[in-house]
Amino acid sequence: MTTTAPRPGELDSAQRSAMDPVTLEVLKNAFATAVDSMSEQILRTCYSFVIYSRDFSSALCDARGETVMQGSADIAVHVGTLHFQCRSILEDFEGDINPGDVFAVNDPYRGGTHFNDVSIIRPVFVDGELIAFAQNKGHWADVGGTVPGSFDVNARDHFGEGLRITPVRLWSQGRFLQDVAKLLAANTRAPEQVIGDLHAQAVATAVCEREILRLVGKYGKGTVTLAMDEVQNYVERLVRQRISALPDGTWETEDYIDFDPAHGEGLVPVKVRMTIDGSQVKYDLTGSAPAVASFLNSGYGAAFSGVAAGTKAFFPDVPLNSGFYRAMQADLGPKGTVVNAEWPTAVTGFCSGPYEKIMNSIFELWSHVMPERAIACSFNLEYLLVGGRDARVEGRPYFMWYDWMVGGWGGRSTKDGTGASAPVFGVGLAVQPLEGQERLSPVLTSTHEILVDSGGPGLFRGGCGVEKGGTLTAAEDAVMSYCCDRARSIAWGLEGGLPSSPHGVWLNKGQDSERFLGAVFSNVPVKPGDTFTRPSAGGGGYGDPLERDPLAVREDVADGYVSVKRARTDYGVVVECVDEELAEYVVLEQETTEERARIRAGRLGWLQEDPVAVAERYRDGSLDALDLIRQYGVIVDWGTGELLPTTTQQFRAMLAKRTSSAWN
Amino acid sequence: MAHLRVAVDVGGTFTDVFVVDERTNVMRVAKVPSTPDDPMRAIMSGVEEAGVDLRDVVLFSHGTTVATNALITRRFPPAAMVCTKGFRDILEIRDGTRDDLWDAYKDVAPPYIRRRDRLEIAERVDYEGNVLEGVDEAEARRLAGILRRKGVQTVAICFINSYANAANENRMREILAEELPGVSLSTSSEVLPEIFEHDRFSTTVANAVLSPLVGGYVNRLEAALRAGGYAGDLLLLHSGGGSMTPRLVQKYAVRLAASGIAAGAIAARHVALQCGYPNAIGLDMGGTSTDIVLVANGVLPITKHWQVEYGYPICFPSIEVATIGAGGGSLAWIDEAGALRNGPQSAGAAPGPACYGKGGQAPTNTDANVFLGRLGTELAGGAMKLDAEAAAQAIADQVAAPLDLSLQEAADSILKVANANMADAVRLVSIRRGHDPRDFALVAFGGAGALHGVDIARELSIPVVIVPPNPGITSALGCLLVDVRHDLSVMYQRDAADADAATVNAEYEALEAEARERLRHEGVPDEHVFLQRTMSMRYLGQWRSLTVDVVDSPNFLQDTVNGFHDGHEREFAFRRDDAPVEIYQLGLAAIGTTPKPSFTALPLSPDAAAPVPRSHRPVYFSGQDERTQTPVYARAELEPGATVHGPAVIEQLDSTTAVPPGARAVIDEWLNIRIYVKENGQ
Repeated sequence: MTTTAPRPGELDSAQRSAMDPVTLEVLKNAFATAVDSMSEQILRTCYSFVIYSRDFSSALCDARGETVMQGSADIAVHVGTLHFQCRSILEDFEGDINPGDVFAVNDPYRGGTHFNDVSIIRPVFVDGELIAFAQNKGHWADVGGTVPGSFDVNARDHFGEGLRITPVRLWSQGRFLQDVAKLLAANTRAPEQVIGDLHAQAVATAVCEREILRLVGKYGKGTVTLAMDEVQNYVERLVRQRISALPDGTWETEDYIDFDPAHGEGLVPVKVRMTIDGSQVKYDLTGSAPAVASFLNSGYGAAFSGVAAGTKAFFPDVPLNSGFYRAMQADLGPKGTVVNAEWPTAVTGFCSGPYEKIMNSIFELWSHVMPERAIACSFNLEYLLVGGRDARVEGRPYFMWYDWMVGGWGGRSTKDGTGASAPVFGVGLAVQPLEGQERLSPVLTSTHEILVDSGGPGLFRGGCGVEKGGTLTAAEDAVMSYCCDRARSIAWGLEGGLPSSPHGVWLNKGQDSERFLGAVFSNVPVKPGDTFTRPSAGGGGYGDPLERDPLAVREDVADGYVSVKRARTDYGVVVECVDEELAEYVVLEQETTEERARIRAGRLGWLQEDPVAVAERYRDGSLDALDLIRQYGVIVDWGTGELLPTTTQQFRAMLAKRTSSAWN
Repeated sequence: MAHLRVAVDVGGTFTDVFVVDERTNVMRVAKVPSTPDDPMRAIMSGVEEAGVDLRDVVLFSHGTTVATNALITRRFPPAAMVCTKGFRDILEIRDGTRDDLWDAYKDVAPPYIRRRDRLEIAERVDYEGNVLEGVDEAEARRLAGILRRKGVQTVAICFINSYANAANENRMREILAEELPGVSLSTSSEVLPEIFEHDRFSTTVANAVLSPLVGGYVNRLEAALRAGGYAGDLLLLHSGGGSMTPRLVQKYAVRLAASGIAAGAIAARHVALQCGYPNAIGLDMGGTSTDIVLVANGVLPITKHWQVEYGYPICFPSIEVATIGAGGGSLAWIDEAGALRNGPQSAGAAPGPACYGKGGQAPTNTDANVFLGRLGTELAGGAMKLDAEAAAQAIADQVAAPLDLSLQEAADSILKVANANMADAVRLVSIRRGHDPRDFALVAFGGAGALHGVDIARELSIPVVIVPPNPGITSALGCLLVDVRHDLSVMYQRDAADADAATVNAEYEALEAEARERLRHEGVPDEHVFLQRTMSMRYLGQWRSLTVDVVDSPNFLQDTVNGFHDGHEREFAFRRDDAPVEIYQLGLAAIGTTPKPSFTALPLSPDAAAPVPRSHRPVYFSGQDERTQTPVYARAELEPGATVHGPAVIEQLDSTTAVPPGARAVIDEWLNIRIYVKENGQ
């Protein structure tokens, strides 16, 4: 006989809520509906194409600013920041918050993410008493600064990045403060859009307010506010209960940003130490590098978000609110680091910099605790921006070809990684259709396809990345910028799995004027006829690739996820083509056994080979980038072939920990 | 003289047949087990069971889950795709998002066509429709050779920007048609001539994989009906709530993808309108899931993003139905933090609820209903016995004891949570759009709808619940009520202020000519054709568009823009009269009206007011202190005009209706039960 629910007496009083379980469940779900209604509304009325692509979130906060419920389809990167933003309103307007007020804030130094993410916050009153806040946070397409889209890689401080909105009132007791709104809008490149989004967001918060007032009408103010507390307690209880069931211990790891422009080559560490102690999980980011001289830094809100969102992936079914944050403790370490940057350090690129490094590190740490949910490193969030004037149209208006791609996620303990997926930054972030882009910008897309061999080899392969590029047509005064990372800090494998493939943009690839522009650059001039392309990385592999089922490798070859060549180099599987048209391949068993033995015998040695000689072989064309990364652990400038000695040393040390130590 | 209208709804478990005799307006129904391996067998036996001679049939309509099931089970014939070089992975890349945002172990399903079967050809059209590179004939014939060797039965031809110029896709199709006789060919520009490559390709691929199967099925069915003596057209209910004939199914098989779901929604609308409620919520509650549809001002909502599996949208207009994982069989359980949860896991058909006595030990909503006496211990006229003891045991062990509740409190709590969840789902689809529930009626059907209807209505402040005469086979009724309908569209992106009325008009006239042609092809006489122009618009800079009807007036552009402002305010609670409005797409709904059965109102019998119960049993209703001895009525014995005051239970073969204390149930002239839910019976 089996049972699916606890037996009598299993729940002790500590697990019981102060509220009856039925009312609590009903109100918990009603709060979720109220918040999701807000999200539905904004999705249908927004102006920013970034919001439309689901870069937004919604929350109901209590009178203290604590998050009661966050939207079920919210973007990961806002998790853990909404209560900070709400509290900033309370701090700055204490005693002066009135019915009909609506506030705005985007301040990354007050727990926000980056300047583009603007929170609109509406206090909810009952009988003159403030009982809650409805909040919608969305990514505005532009908030000023030196470059369109407000993503300036070279910005050193907030002044180069864009408009900083400290807590400000937009509606006062129901009256729209036109002057304030205009001031905000006038400091952006798209003032009309800003006014549109600001209205759309404010109306969305009113939808949530209406639902909360309905619940108050039905259940009474006291019950609803008690339920707001109890829903947080419920989540805290749930998470603590699960953590208690796990073994205590401390685990640590590090991941890297490619380099700090102020210090030449050399990977920049982001360190995470995790301790499970009873019913609490603690994180310590002490030891992470000082803030870098680009915009790849993170303020405390965004770093906390990385910690919270990383943890949440191991509690996928638990609702998100401040109760979740209470069950975890995050020490971000000393101020002034890449994960705890202060005003006025530039932070807009946190999403491509420390944010996903924190998340992937936390995925790795939890992989030790919950091997059934283990996952290797995933590709890096990337944004490519080509901006200039569109000569196809009278008046040569500005255009922005602002593009982000899907890529591969890490291999898992029971199956291959997910290919061609939205980033860990936000699984709901949709890529844009190229047919829409071609109408809006003088760029002809040349390809958008899955990239062969991009997935990190492993017992379970990392998911594949993709390739997308284009040719400029009637563009004038155009420049290109790129916000990414991991051209050098390649997405890593776990438990013997190999790394995937590098990020980075190529200009005029295969022509005389070919240039590798790297994974982070700004304002590179481009002209009509220029072609550009960039890959997204695959995910790192999980487990030893020499143990992968040869038939699985053959199937990958038949579908073009893995080439015949790399089936041999990476997996030691010798595959022969029988009929290319019919995608028929066979595994040569004897040859495979021999090849695997050869690799097994040689591979540790290859990781020790003189990097100078390996780099030379890259330059003369006898080795390619994937050979360097996967066989030799050598990192070079992929354009010039120049060896990066410090980076290589760090990369090899990383491989020794995550990969070769698990080979037997 | 043919005089019968027959509608058949093929569901997963049962095939329902609904027959109306035009001469007498008398309805009769039949229910036979479905035959999933060949749905036609159940249709023919159902027709026989209903005593129908096909020679007497004037109109045969059919809603089918054949296409839906094929998509769910992925039983497809060998299929391939031909794409623009560099873009064969659009189908697999999708928009990159995943359904489950947090569970890194949950993946989106793979595409319907494997990567190895997606071929590429060098060709390119730009955004304006200029051909940058044509299709090379020799290369196209070489690809045809590969497809022949692969033995594919159907091919989706999907080129970039083909919505702007279909020349390359058409050329490719011509060549494949020559080289591969008998193979189904779907081009994206014909299936869905709209911008956005993944939406168009995904819809086209779904069409391609369904074509051979669905096309073959409708042809065989039509032949069988012909052989039986049926002389009219077989009408197939499509996702958009209209019907189409087998001739067009050959081209647009994917339009049948949500056929079965549409049927229930149409029936709900019909029942509500019949009772004089233009605003209604249809609640089709089955064993494992519930379909919810919102009818506002007599109109069923349409969505252009429907999907069977996440990531593969089918972008034909489909009736917007929200499906939630809650039904009679949903499990009640307590999570680690002590909250009482309900669903989405379900006991399914096996083992089923504890009271089925088939080994199920977890309590379900059905168990709570049985324990509380709301549901009797005999179903389907005694064909099935329910074990109240087993229900009580499951509730005691798994809910009452851990939460320290009495059995009665525990069972009541299970239903409270279930009803509140259901109400939340209804809220999410309706009330957020600003609709006031007090103006709505709740049409409750499906096996379990009538048991929960009043409680859910009370939760939502909905004043009246309507339970149609045959709640278990209401969907088949929907099939009987539809017109032939086609939805056509053309991209037209321009600031409304800059739009030229003559040009727009010419675009519509072209659509109308195409629509008339299609309807003529389907045998609809011109005088039965009704055309409605629609326009999708948005505030300049917004991303989503809103579709509104085009006003038929001399100054139609401005009038339609005004209609957009009103619509935006109604849907989203705000308007910006001073903001520029952009036209995005022109649409046309082309309807060929078919004669409907006229339902005759039965006389309300004055002496029916005090019906006699069959029996009494103790039943617990929420909010009461204890069980009340409650009369149980047989529905068949309730005549029009009869009134039953709650507490009461009304039983029939396929459903049980609960009438809680304070509610008043009246049998109306159409044999619906109308329940006025307010505590004072208003």
